[in-house]
Amino acid sequence: MAALANSFLSPESSRLKPGELSTGTTIMAVPFPGGVVLGADSRVSTGTYIANRTSDKIAQLSSKIFCCRSGSAADTQALTDYVRFYLQQWEVETGRNATVKVAAHLMRKICYQNKDNLSAGVIVGGWDEVDGGSVYNIPLGGTMIKMDCAIGGSGSTYIYGLTDALHKPNMTKAETVAMVKKSISHAMARDGSSGGIIRTCIVDESGVEREYIPGNQLPYGP
Amino acid sequence: MASSGSGYDLSPTTFSPDGRIFQVEYASKAVASSGTSVGLKVKDGVVLVTEKILTSKMLVPGSSRRVHGLDRHAGCSITGLISDGRQLVNRGREEASNYVDTYGIRSPPVVLCERLSSFAHYFTLHGALRPFGATAMVAAYDEDEKDYSLHMIEPSGQAYKYYGCAAGKGRQGAKTEIEKLDLQALSCEEGLAAAVKVVLQMRDDNKDKPMELEAGWCRDGKYSKVPDGVLKDAEKKGREELEEEEDMDEDEDE
Amino acid sequence: MSEFTASETPESIAPPPAGFSFENVKRNAAISASGTTGAYTQAKAMKTGTTIVGTIFKGGVVLGADTRATGDTTVCDKNCEKIHYMAPNIYCCGAGTAADTEKTTELIASQLELLRMSTKTQSRIVTACTLLKRMLFRYQGHVSAALVLGGCDINGPHVYQIYPHGSTGKLPYTTMGSGSLAAMSVFESEWKEDMTEDEAKGLVERAITAGIFNDLGSGSNCDTCVIRMDGSIQMNRGALKENPVEPLRDAIKRSDRFNFPRGTTAVLSTEFVAHKTKGLSLDDVDVVTMDTN
Repeated sequence: MAALANSFLSPESSRLKPGELSTGTTIMAVPFPGGVVLGADSRVSTGTYIANRTSDKIAQLSSKIFCCRSGSAADTQALTDYVRFYLQQWEVETGRNATVKVAAHLMRKICYQNKDNLSAGVIVGGWDEVDGGSVYNIPLGGTMIKMDCAIGGSGSTYIYGLTDALHKPNMTKAETVAMVKKSISHAMARDGSSGGIIRTCIVDESGVEREYIPGNQLPYGP
Repeated sequence: MASSGSGYDLSPTTFSPDGRIFQVEYASKAVASSGTSVGLKVKDGVVLVTEKILTSKMLVPGSSRRVHGLDRHAGCSITGLISDGRQLVNRGREEASNYVDTYGIRSPPVVLCERLSSFAHYFTLHGALRPFGATAMVAAYDEDEKDYSLHMIEPSGQAYKYYGCAAGKGRQGAKTEIEKLDLQALSCEEGLAAAVKVVLQMRDDNKDKPMELEAGWCRDGKYSKVPDGVLKDAEKKGREELEEEEDMDEDEDE
Repeated sequence: MSEFTASETPESIAPPPAGFSFENVKRNAAISASGTTGAYTQAKAMKTGTTIVGTIFKGGVVLGADTRATGDTTVCDKNCEKIHYMAPNIYCCGAGTAADTEKTTELIASQLELLRMSTKTQSRIVTACTLLKRMLFRYQGHVSAALVLGGCDINGPHVYQIYPHGSTGKLPYTTMGSGSLAAMSVFESEWKEDMTEDEAKGLVERAITAGIFNDLGSGSNCDTCVIRMDGSIQMNRGALKENPVEPLRDAIKRSDRFNFPRGTTAVLSTEFVAHKTKGLSLDDVDVVTMDTN
């Protein structure tokens, strides 16, 4: 049953082992001048059962670098644990704050080297002194693409057009946050494996803001 | 003084009773008998100049190099045993390319030099190994900090960051000369001229063996070998200046 | 050479080679893949088709579990313990293959104890969770242990859920096992923040009962375990016995024909004769008492 339910979903979930948890998901990250906004739904499912309705799919890699997870929950958790560890080592060795570029490269390397055993699609985003706000998308095979607006997970297929239409260069922070929230709520409305609440993470030079919108207060609802 | 013959100089694994490791000191001696090398960090880059002593008149110019690139942003000069130095160069290249592969950025100079110095230091810890009889001066550019830096890695594994450094036969005199320079006011070309002049100054052409100059610099975010023409001009200019100064000294003596 | 001549070769009478033999792996796989005939079925591991739950309350954590262990459709153990010890301040409920949950928690409990000895600090729940998830992830889901981990440390009461593939979640209340859906429906309708200990215990008992009644894999009694912030533990085996069997057994009136009074069987002899085996026995030895003066 779990396999059947998965087979017509995203390519991420079709690779899952039987009984494996999937963050059948909508995730996105958008940089704006001076920072970045990351967003995600909160649904974690096993087949047709929601294993966790309030999960946090935005994992912290360093003080100002975050990562949106999609695919197998176990794989992406292990992956982010590794990257967090290597990034900490890098910070100690170089004596500087980690950059998003380095974080994304580490993630890409591990994703690519273990591509046969992983089902993980992640988006790395954050702020650093060198590049300001930046976002890298690392989908299934382990390729890495720097993007102005990255979306991922099973729900993302429903909002490619919407994000294309909503995204404009040089948006303000408020505009970017509004765009992320709106896009994810549309994906949650159409995608069965996305839902729950929207979690966002806004990172800029001054710091990190974590917020959430309860499922009954979404900008767009079913 | 307990030194050679007392048995403490046979292996780097044993300290002498007064706390020295003779094998490492002997390795430094191998460096000290080599041609003079000078490194200068100037306003817009880093310059490396080294004197390669020619052991035969039949040597092809430009062979058996002492100045090498490690990566696009880093290079180093070798003072001491050239083949020992090449081990450092190979390791430096390996470290630099591994770094780009894993982290996606060029290795920060400090990291590259720390890893090289760990490598050199490892050879002072084991009975089956011999310390390197070579010193490496690393000129590199830091992509993130947008800054140039000069490090010197010694046979002991020490690695310090310098504004200006010297190694080899004429290092004492060279250091005194370097200290007189206003490094922050010099451009790369001026730095090259100054470094070449210092190296030439340490020579006694009547006594010393023939030599060839080699130079590399790190500028505009990249490391490169100094073009032969530019180096030849600098050498010519340096010799002329030195001759003039000598003449003036003689005039004063009269 | 034909296979019928094989008996002539001396190798055929040689002893079988030592070590593991995997020669039947493919055959067994093929048979079980074809298998609608029912002639051959593979042995099934004992599973704890289970309801386990955990929740935090104002002063600590309550864990709960049913006590049924099944092997295929048979109830193998009617009163097994599914709330395992991890550390003095941490307990862990296990669902999945009984042996796997038992050994997993045992192994990590041992690692935690060693860590406590070397750091001289109380174990934390995150530490237990990290060790468990790392181990389970390493085995890529082949160790089928679905866990509810709960306890109190300096950061307060915590409940974690851990899946066999190594993913974890930190939640105020959680359920696992085949009865998790039934138990979760109770939590989702009745759970509230900052419950008292009695409220939490009652809720956990109701959640487990929902599993026992509505899930085939769960049954028998309800065990609970309270871990309080003051460090005290209350393990409650059989906190609830919804279907006690003793009164039912007592109610059965057996016919007198099955009650045999003493003496029904005749006593022929009461003499005891020691069996003499070959070689020496104690009877052949003169026992000399040791001089202890």
